[in-house]
Amino acid sequence: MQRVTCNGLAVLLLAACGDPATFVPADPTLVATVAVPANYGLHDTYVRDGLAFLSAWNTGVIILDVGHGVAGGSPEAPVEVTRFVLDDAGRTVQGAVHNTWWFHNPTTGEQRYLFIGQEGPGTLGESSSGDLYVYDVSTLTAPQFVGAYALPGAGAHNVWMDEAAETLFAAYYNGGVIALDVSGTLPADLSTRELDRIQPGGDGNTHVWGVMQGPDGRVWATDMVSGFWRLSFEGSAFAVTGGGNNASERFSSDLWVHGTTGYSGTWGFRSEPGDAVLIWDLAGPTRIRTMLVDSVTTISDVEVSTDGRLLLLTTENGPHEGFVLYDLANDPRAPQFLLRQGVESGLHTGTLVEREGRTYVFGAKNPGFAPPALMIWDVTASRP
Amino acid sequence: MVGLALLAAHPASAQSSLHLTGTASGTRASTAPGGGPVTQVRLEQVMARATATSGNGVWRVWASGNLEGLTMPNGALSLGAFGEGFVDRRHPHTYVHELGGSVVVPVGGARASLSAGRGFVAFGTDDPMHQPPLAYPINHHWSQILERLVVIGGVAVGPVLMEGTLFNGDEPEYPSQWPSINRLGDSWAARLSVVPATALEVQVSYATVRSPEHRGGAGPDATKWSVSLSRMAAVRTHAEWALTDEAGRRFTSLLVMGEWAVGPHRPYVRLERTDRPEEERTFDQFRSVRPHLDDHVIGITRWSIVTAGYGLRLRAGRMIVEPITEGAVARVTETTGGLFDPALFYGRTTMVSLTVAVRLHWGMAGTMGRYGIRDATVPEVHHH
Repeated sequence: MQRVTCNGLAVLLLAACGDPATFVPADPTLVATVAVPANYGLHDTYVRDGLAFLSAWNTGVIILDVGHGVAGGSPEAPVEVTRFVLDDAGRTVQGAVHNTWWFHNPTTGEQRYLFIGQEGPGTLGESSSGDLYVYDVSTLTAPQFVGAYALPGAGAHNVWMDEAAETLFAAYYNGGVIALDVSGTLPADLSTRELDRIQPGGDGNTHVWGVMQGPDGRVWATDMVSGFWRLSFEGSAFAVTGGGNNASERFSSDLWVHGTTGYSGTWGFRSEPGDAVLIWDLAGPTRIRTMLVDSVTTISDVEVSTDGRLLLLTTENGPHEGFVLYDLANDPRAPQFLLRQGVESGLHTGTLVEREGRTYVFGAKNPGFAPPALMIWDVTASRP
Repeated sequence: MVGLALLAAHPASAQSSLHLTGTASGTRASTAPGGGPVTQVRLEQVMARATATSGNGVWRVWASGNLEGLTMPNGALSLGAFGEGFVDRRHPHTYVHELGGSVVVPVGGARASLSAGRGFVAFGTDDPMHQPPLAYPINHHWSQILERLVVIGGVAVGPVLMEGTLFNGDEPEYPSQWPSINRLGDSWAARLSVVPATALEVQVSYATVRSPEHRGGAGPDATKWSVSLSRMAAVRTHAEWALTDEAGRRFTSLLVMGEWAVGPHRPYVRLERTDRPEEERTFDQFRSVRPHLDDHVIGITRWSIVTAGYGLRLRAGRMIVEPITEGAVARVTETTGGLFDPALFYGRTTMVSLTVAVRLHWGMAGTMGRYGIRDATVPEVHHH
């Protein structure tokens, strides 16, 4: 069906536009399940250009062709390209592959470097461990270790990249947020590429889960302890420009920003459980809504589709663990519930993938009675 | 099986014993996750233990079954308790608690033994069921290692006993689970005991345990120490210290207790200070996430708890019926600066509980966890 762009004049086309009052989303179709060794399991999936990079903890990184063509895979039939463990001998943390980012360098045109975050042992709110690695994946079937970055006393978590500026932003839990210059040929010791770092909430009030750059260049961060922050990164220096200490009833988790609206998840138990998505007006940032998600205690991943019309949440620890989709088309600050997909033991992370006119959810299923796995759903018919 | 066959070869001289026990209890605690007070009635410590010994004392087989998986599948309310995914409730034990055999032979002026089967590692102190209070101490997982596949060698020279154990590191995940046989030998322990006088024992133990909380082996390893001094008499006294290092975190426990047995009367008291890891909890706040997804904790709490009670043992032939009244007062503090705030989570940091119970015993069958030379040398523990 041809998609119809909705606007204020399209009253007669409401049904086709997906009027939330009339649209009935189809159930997601599970199109593929790729088992991952229960070596803790699968923490994150990064999908780009038809390749899925699975962060499979001590199993390392698994690269799947889900439409790239290198191995003839598709979302319905992923084909493994390769897998590798980190070259981590002698380092503080072994294994514990948590997340990746495949760098497409617009300056050089290279798609050479894969950044890999480790999540080692820690005490949330106080300490963390784990380094950032970079591998050369020019030859997809034979990734080569390039180098690593270590921040003593802190460990990596989620990353974001300003590819045009060749700058990597990494959430580093109690270490705050760091920025690395990733231009040119990278050295073995990436500490020489550190541009700046910042603890938004200050020492003792910082445990940054995620970082993301908005379309206007501003950098946003969620801190488990101190909430939702706005940072600037100008002249290779961070500064806090807004937010913070604004979500004290819940621990914060992942974030996403789109347009003028931000979304942050919540985690575990504080005075309130992690059953809410906090919706922010980025002009402040000011919290404009606390949207509850029934019967879960962690919203582990938050993502808005590229077109800004769909909000994906992955959920854990409760009867409704799995993922939830919301329609943002009418008002991005008032998400309309579309559907909930239950997954036994929950999804740790998920990502929306658009490919050949179809929309997929790639979800990292936690270990439980069934083994951990990458699960892929086709949600094309689930969205207005 | 081998042991039973050997015993069958000497039927005339073999000796056997049987012990049946169970406790009906009701506990009211001032504080619990999600608020309090809370009351729980349950059947706990429902067990049968049988032993058979060859006439010449060379062979002994032992077996004990535990029905807590049926009678208290959601655990037993207990201040500060933790382990195997349960928090603030003690977990049920496995149905097959012990099953194995030992052979004891003289070697010159010494005695040596070899024991094998499922049961207790020769590490630390006796099972808490043999302690005076009904409630388990918080340090159960620091001071004992149990329900493993074990191969234990022992040598006794005069009052000195040396035991070494090879075992599987993985702890049970649910009551019907068997140890992972392919992990047998990935962990080891050694215990040196001295019995300088009748009814007195000093022991020092060390263990290295491979990935105890992740059956697949992805979890961090633990190293453990235990030191204790016990006197078994009408006035029974016991003091112990335990330490566990795991993933860069240190947990210590200090416990002293005493019991005064006067005729049928049995007043007792236990003082304990034990560190406990705080982990992400599930929707059921008495449970923490299992299997683990990473190596984080959200804090370490220190529990200082006084438990005092009184039991009245009424004998009728081989049956003992014992009404028990037991109270506990606990105070908890967070020691690391992690996310977990006990005042926020529990609503208070001092909590109390009161338990009334009736315990039944029928017969006797030795002390759980004592195999080979230890069974033959260390002073017997009375039923409690």
